[in-house]
Amino acid sequence: MSGICVSGCGSNTNLEKLLQLTLNGLMAGTVLAVPAIGLTMIYAVLRFVNFSIAGHMAVGAFAGYMLNAWAGLPAVVAVLGAFIAGAAVGIASDHAALRPLRGYSALTLAIASIAVNIMIESTIRFFFGGSPRDYAIPLRRDWTLGFLHVGPQQVENAIIAAIAMAILFVFLTVTTTGKAMRAVADNPMLADSKGIDPDAMARLAIGIGMGLAGIGGMLVGLDTSIDPLVGFRAILSVFAAAVVGGLGSVPGALVGGLAIGLSEELSLLALPATYKSAVGFLAILVVLTLRPRGLLGARA
Amino acid sequence: MQKRSLITRRKALLTGVGAIAAPFVITTPGFGQTGPIKLAGLVSLTGSGSPFGPNSRMAHQAVVDQVNAAGGLLGRKIEYLAEDDQTNAEAGQRAARKLIDVDKTQAIMSVWASAVGTAVLPLCWENKVVMLAISAADSLALLPHQGYFVRTQPHTELQGKEFGRVILAMGAKSAYLIMPQTPFTETVFNAIRTTVEPKGVKVQSVIIDGKKTSFKSEIDEMVRANPELFMMGGYQAENIVMAKDLFRANYKGKVIGFAYGMTPGFIDGAGKEAAEGMFACAEPAPAGGSSAYAKLKALVKKDALDTYICQAYDHANLAILAMAKGKEATGTGIKDNIRKIANNDAGVMVDNALDGLKAIGEGKEIKYSGASGPCKFSDTGNIIEVAFRTTQVKDGKLVEVKI
Amino acid sequence: MINYLIAMATFGAIYAVLALALNVMWGMAGMVNLGIVGFYAFGAYITALLTLNAHAPIALGFLAAMIGTAMMAALVTLGLTRLRDDYLAIVTLGFAEVVRIAAENEIWLTRGTDGISGIPQPLKSTLGADFNAAYLVFCLVVLAVVLWVLERVRTSPFGRVLRAVREDAQVAAFAGKDVLRFKVKAFALGGALAGLAGALYAHYSSYIVPEIYVPLLTIYISLALTAGGIGNNWGAVIGAFVVVFFLESTRFLVGVVPWLSAEQLAALREFLIGLGLLLVLFFRPRGLMPEPLPRLVKR
Repeated sequence: MSGICVSGCGSNTNLEKLLQLTLNGLMAGTVLAVPAIGLTMIYAVLRFVNFSIAGHMAVGAFAGYMLNAWAGLPAVVAVLGAFIAGAAVGIASDHAALRPLRGYSALTLAIASIAVNIMIESTIRFFFGGSPRDYAIPLRRDWTLGFLHVGPQQVENAIIAAIAMAILFVFLTVTTTGKAMRAVADNPMLADSKGIDPDAMARLAIGIGMGLAGIGGMLVGLDTSIDPLVGFRAILSVFAAAVVGGLGSVPGALVGGLAIGLSEELSLLALPATYKSAVGFLAILVVLTLRPRGLLGARA
Repeated sequence: MQKRSLITRRKALLTGVGAIAAPFVITTPGFGQTGPIKLAGLVSLTGSGSPFGPNSRMAHQAVVDQVNAAGGLLGRKIEYLAEDDQTNAEAGQRAARKLIDVDKTQAIMSVWASAVGTAVLPLCWENKVVMLAISAADSLALLPHQGYFVRTQPHTELQGKEFGRVILAMGAKSAYLIMPQTPFTETVFNAIRTTVEPKGVKVQSVIIDGKKTSFKSEIDEMVRANPELFMMGGYQAENIVMAKDLFRANYKGKVIGFAYGMTPGFIDGAGKEAAEGMFACAEPAPAGGSSAYAKLKALVKKDALDTYICQAYDHANLAILAMAKGKEATGTGIKDNIRKIANNDAGVMVDNALDGLKAIGEGKEIKYSGASGPCKFSDTGNIIEVAFRTTQVKDGKLVEVKI
Repeated sequence: MINYLIAMATFGAIYAVLALALNVMWGMAGMVNLGIVGFYAFGAYITALLTLNAHAPIALGFLAAMIGTAMMAALVTLGLTRLRDDYLAIVTLGFAEVVRIAAENEIWLTRGTDGISGIPQPLKSTLGADFNAAYLVFCLVVLAVVLWVLERVRTSPFGRVLRAVREDAQVAAFAGKDVLRFKVKAFALGGALAGLAGALYAHYSSYIVPEIYVPLLTIYISLALTAGGIGNNWGAVIGAFVVVFFLESTRFLVGVVPWLSAEQLAALREFLIGLGLLLVLFFRPRGLMPEPLPRLVKR
């Protein structure tokens, strides 16, 4: 292929296709990893799958929307608001709805989180309606690099996602609180005996986890558009990312996010596009058959 | 002894059921023609049809209010009811049960999703309730509905042929079609292919998973194939996402789509820049100028209307006028008379229920011509003599163009 | 009004059979299943295709739906049994979505999103207007038989082993029980019942379409089971009727809060469903009717 050929020139080789899909998959996967990490963090500390992650993604998306489209803040700043809103609603909903049920089975909690999710999504629909809404950001043409092309917004989203994850990794590995949180995740009994307040840790994990979900929701929305189901539509992929990586493992969720993002896009080479939603599920089956605890999951 | 207690318990149960039912039984017009006439909208307030349902409801209510303010229909008030079908066949069926069995509605108006229409239509004909639908799936009209079904949305084969015509008229030599999986995707694709392929147009088509958040890679594929014309066949939500990606990928070809997916809401969502120059096709054109369209705009206080709100407006007008024509406020009355007011070209042209009621009162024959089109129905309930129009986004507004 | 109540009672009975199916898998065998709607769909499609395309008698359609779905369920269990609850919840949810996506896209078989209409309704032409009432009676009889069978199963040795497996699979295995075999059997039984419920729905509504089988329906059924009491068969039945009553009664809110827009009312209804579920968990975490404690065997 000629080097000067840009997108839309009609060239069509499988290698180009493969590389373009890989690039798209990596970009989508980076964004996907953010809520997946949120899910897995909450799981690591509280040991249940919190289905309300979808609702919290929508909370973040809409909080960011209000700051960006209504208050006129740039999207990059509004992302902070998405984090704060996700965290605040997460802590509040957990305190009101889920905390009283701790002590019951992980399943009771999972079901309760489904109820919370329904309540959050319907509250957003109550105030914002069901029609899609858009951020006040300019549309920009893709950058082309040879035969590859990539959108500035995609790159920006991936960078925001990467920064959020980098901050989290630093927090977990360097700060005392972060280390304490990992200790609780590893062994709640031991952590308790060392004087770490498990309740405070739970709140922190939920705040960070749902805050990340909020960022994830907004990033998905920035690239497309938002409505109350913005998180719900992504939820199977988010679950798949967390499970493939190993529930409870933060690096696992990152790897899982990239893996799911890649496999969903690359599946277009082999499967009809209509089966995209099924790819995450197939990835789960394959990985869990080979490694019942996920790629990087340590605990049974 | 035991038997007896069983009977009393059953009696108690029946009494209980009766007690719950009592308030509803009393409010339903069981005695004579005195209570209000019931008309209902089965609209999508949640789910993928939710961008349109609230508008349908608004149009219905506006027509009913208008008629009630002018003294009602056949000396009775009209009561309007709406239920949410959640854009889901099963939920729609339960909602229709309530509208038919509890509220005793005579018509179910503006069902949008084809699957909901298919699920609810048997209930309608069994209970002699008329369905005035938007749903476009060809199979609907083929059900044994005994006449209790008309629709204002052209069935999908017609829409597909219109797309074919547009593609040929634009002179495109290659076309690439993307649609989400819907009950009519195959029909539309086939109708387009059979229309344009004999004329040497190269056609490629892809069905996408409408539930995903991004279609970037699918659009990339399309751009790679570099067709002269792209048919963006989604609903509003998918089209917004695809249009943005088209702009980003700097696609230069012509873009056409269903009018229902290229609404003013679509232009807002995708942004003027991205939507500029795109064509909205296969929209039923208002006939006889567009006086009904203008009236509806004033009535609901909106600048631009999509075809669905127009169709909902027509449904309410048609149901009311058909009842007035037959002097029979029942579903059967609508069924038997709707073609007398809709297909009669010799009648006085009317574009709203009030004028129509007046003309009928004066003993005139009428022809209702609606906001969504001329509104003429075949024996199976399909719309006939559809005039389609094409609009193009120019400076962020949909402007009618001749293709 | 009476027709409406008959229709809702029919929905209640079908949901009750489905809730019982879920109770076998989840309550008795202790395997979380958020994909019950996938099995429900499977049964509905089997009988719809058999009775329409192959002109099989309806009774045969019911039988095939039960057997086919049971086999499917057994197969799924074999693949999933090694997974823990958390993974199971997600995987079964995904399973149901894949069933739905396949039904949407394998148009040659399932007619895709068009759905299958004209599924024969038993004795419809003979019964005419009485069909709905007769079908309700049929559903209630089926429900009663299923309930009777499950109560027998629960107190049988098989049921007791299942409970042991649920409480502690390792101990059960240690006691010489083939845990996997018991789980597969329980899942197959639950699958058969979910298939039965699917067939009941298909021949009642005479129309099925993939979009019926969305996760929301699974949530309703889980709500029914949780509300009624996981592990308790009577609870599952009562829970199902309570859920239908609750779903329908929220419709009548329109009269109570007329100042809200229709869309807001729809959102409010959804909100109340979530709240209702949560309140049940708060005040009756074991459901309205907790599982009866295993009594010492008395025969």
